[in-house]
Amino acid sequence: MRPIRRRFSRNVFNLLSHQFLLRFRNTPRPRFTNASRVRDGLRIHFLRRDSPRALIARILIGGTFADTINFLMTKFFFKTLVAMLLIASREGWAQTPTPAASATASDVAALREQVQALTETVKALQQQVKDQQATLEKANITGNQGPQNEGTPSVASAPLPTPLPGASAQESFPTTDSSVVANAPTAPGAPAVNANGTPTGQFPTTDESVVATPAGAISSATGAPPTETSTRSLTQPITIAGGGKNYMNISFDGMFALAGSSARDLSHIEVGDHDPQQRGFNARNIELAFDGAVDPYFEGFANIVFKLDNDNETEVEVEEAFMQTTNLPFGLQLKGGQFFAAFGRLNPMHPHVWDFADDALVHGRLLGPDGLRGVAAQVSWTLPTPWYSQLILASQNGRGSTGFSFRNPGDNGIFFSRETTDREARGLQDFVWIPRWENSVDLSPTQVVLAGVSGAFGSNETGANARTQIYGGDLFYKWKSAHAEGGFPFVKWQTEMMYRRFEAGRGVDESFPVAETFHDWGLYSQVLWGFRKGWVAGLRGDYLHMQNSRFTDDQDRQSRSRVSANLSWYPTEFSKLRLQYNHDFLESNFFLADREVDSVFLQFEFILGAHGAHKF
Amino acid sequence: MKKILLILSIVLGAFSAQAKINVVATLSDLGSLAREIGGDNVSVTVLAKPTEDPHFVDARPSFVVALRSTDVLIDGGAELELGWLPPLLQNARNAKLDIGKPGRVQASQGVRLMNVPANVTRAAGDVHALGNPHFGVDPIIAKAIAQHIAQSFSAIDPANAAAYDANYKKFEAAINAKLQQWGAALLPFKGQHIAAYHDSWPYFGHRFGLEIDIFLEPKPGIPPSPSHLAEVIAQMKAQKIKAIIVEPYHDRKIAERVASATGAKVVDFAQYPGALPGTDNYIKLIDTLVSRLAAALK
Repeated sequence: MRPIRRRFSRNVFNLLSHQFLLRFRNTPRPRFTNASRVRDGLRIHFLRRDSPRALIARILIGGTFADTINFLMTKFFFKTLVAMLLIASREGWAQTPTPAASATASDVAALREQVQALTETVKALQQQVKDQQATLEKANITGNQGPQNEGTPSVASAPLPTPLPGASAQESFPTTDSSVVANAPTAPGAPAVNANGTPTGQFPTTDESVVATPAGAISSATGAPPTETSTRSLTQPITIAGGGKNYMNISFDGMFALAGSSARDLSHIEVGDHDPQQRGFNARNIELAFDGAVDPYFEGFANIVFKLDNDNETEVEVEEAFMQTTNLPFGLQLKGGQFFAAFGRLNPMHPHVWDFADDALVHGRLLGPDGLRGVAAQVSWTLPTPWYSQLILASQNGRGSTGFSFRNPGDNGIFFSRETTDREARGLQDFVWIPRWENSVDLSPTQVVLAGVSGAFGSNETGANARTQIYGGDLFYKWKSAHAEGGFPFVKWQTEMMYRRFEAGRGVDESFPVAETFHDWGLYSQVLWGFRKGWVAGLRGDYLHMQNSRFTDDQDRQSRSRVSANLSWYPTEFSKLRLQYNHDFLESNFFLADREVDSVFLQFEFILGAHGAHKF
Repeated sequence: MKKILLILSIVLGAFSAQAKINVVATLSDLGSLAREIGGDNVSVTVLAKPTEDPHFVDARPSFVVALRSTDVLIDGGAELELGWLPPLLQNARNAKLDIGKPGRVQASQGVRLMNVPANVTRAAGDVHALGNPHFGVDPIIAKAIAQHIAQSFSAIDPANAAAYDANYKKFEAAINAKLQQWGAALLPFKGQHIAAYHDSWPYFGHRFGLEIDIFLEPKPGIPPSPSHLAEVIAQMKAQKIKAIIVEPYHDRKIAERVASATGAKVVDFAQYPGALPGTDNYIKLIDTLVSRLAAALK
């Protein structure tokens, strides 16, 4: 139960705010950590600090309005375009090598001598190892299914069965090689070549040291673990050396950002929870990921995220933890647990695969700073069409801040200025229902298009029967060179738009003076150009329209736009450096004046352990 | 809903009951072997383009469509397709392709991989924990893969087992005969050192007695740095290296610069049939590789 006194004071406050608090300028945010405290703080701050005269002056000065589209098309659009061109032209020079070797000739000679001496000793040692292994191997092969030798496999070391080093050209090239193919003699009618023995005048056609008998590989059909362990002796050392003995893959990903901004309230400018939240260093996404086969029927995945808040306190978040079926018939798949909703493109992706250092405005504001995720069940069906087409339907609780536009009680029980209910689900209508249909075709061998429509429907906590509907459409295009090395060069273009209809009720016990319906929408569009191996340049435009309200002074309901440009360098697929520039423009509304913000982020990231494959 | 599903499944069943068995191969060398063995009884779809880097293929949704209805999947294994095949299989939901089933041929099964690192560390670049997966260019290993494929086809389509066996024997005989030619062509250069952009040729070198052991990449997958190239050039001059092997997806300009500094020739190689002109099947590919290399080393 909430104290009556507080409710009373809120009503008085609401009344006051509608009467007097018209159009004041944004002021630097006081040091509060969560949104509603900040909001309350601001109100008190203003009521206390400003004399009536100052208030009136403020109202008169009132915000000036700049046209967003004009802005987009002129100054910054042009600037970023020029920046992109510069980057492109620089690609040319980057390839010219700089002469290296600064050591003197005598140094080099000395080093070379040392290296030669070392290689000779190594060669001698290798020879010893070879001899030992050859004997070991003979023992193994004759033993047929004998214990697996744990040493390194012997392809590299096994003596080449090529006979006749200096023999006459008449003699034939061997056509077997037991050093590569084990027990290969299944080959019918193969010339009798003694793999390790005397030359028979033929190039060997079998090689037991490289290939084990495939019969052995295939006969053990059932219950074979998912590596080559089922084969006979020869493949065994492979798995010993390289893993494949784990029941799950583990990886660790650390993503950090150094942020500079003209705004002092960066946590309000940046809309995603994993985005930089303060000037200086940020560690907003440090995650542990696990995945693997649960049993023959399911596979499991878990993603635990650690974040440091602005006071360097650690927060833990069970971002995802789910199981899904592996082989249901008819192209069906079931999924259950905590996971990101399959809504659009950005939402189901983890921040570390995003192409920008921060979230898109429309995603962060309509689906929430954490994205739309929750404890849920999902069924998906790949349609038996000649092109790729998939239907997905999920149902989730939609409760709390990860169901942002749905059953979200808000910070301190306030959402869009309403005092919220926080109740158990009354029935199926209180769950969030999330359908999606996605389709993909190959335009050519190098070009792919993927398009989808999504929806999310449920109730929200601002009134007894308040509902929320969100609709989304997304389009993704990718071109990749037919001669791609390491996945480069490529061009990809991604656009998403969303529309939200939010019925904001009158809050608990009709305590808020009015009920409103917000029609909010937005879109972003981004182009990424991987112009050479490891290098990607990106450009993004964002627009968000929040319906103006004379009753809700929520700072997050400010319409705004943004232009971002970035340059990323992936030294390998396991590390990343990214420099990004954002220019934000916040439009004035009934309560807030317009303002512009410039921000620069330097993002850096590393990945340890297994690195899961990327979805398209 | 149930009725619709039932009708759909009947329609699907009718489609899949056609005579040919559907085969998907991740890479074109495996696809070529499948065609040799399957002949007219199979229809083969290859996923990756022969000219692109096999480690970094996009898991595009149309591949899911191919995998969804296929009877056999042939992949390289040994983590070669680790970056793109798992999500495809996850989405394809085709139980016939589970490892251990006859519908799944992992080419690496039974192959003894080279260059298995004793310590797995990424400080050494993009090394494969299971060993070097570029083994398809060794004709003897190709025979083993072909035999493996023949067994799979026979298990799935027993009616044509005799044909698959006969095709395998034909292929084996062809490779055995060709090996004599290839061996003879490269015999004069036995023991010679050769440079390559990337370490994808240890099996080829091992088969024909060549030492392909100087690489333009300082470490696997790491782009050549000027200082490393300077060392390579010095080493190549000292050893009088005559050839630099590059693949279609490598930066040929870098190889050309090294070649002009050392007097070596750039030899365009490829692991996958179709990447070079006139190499539409496996044997033609090895033919081309051997003749190009022999010409360059002369």
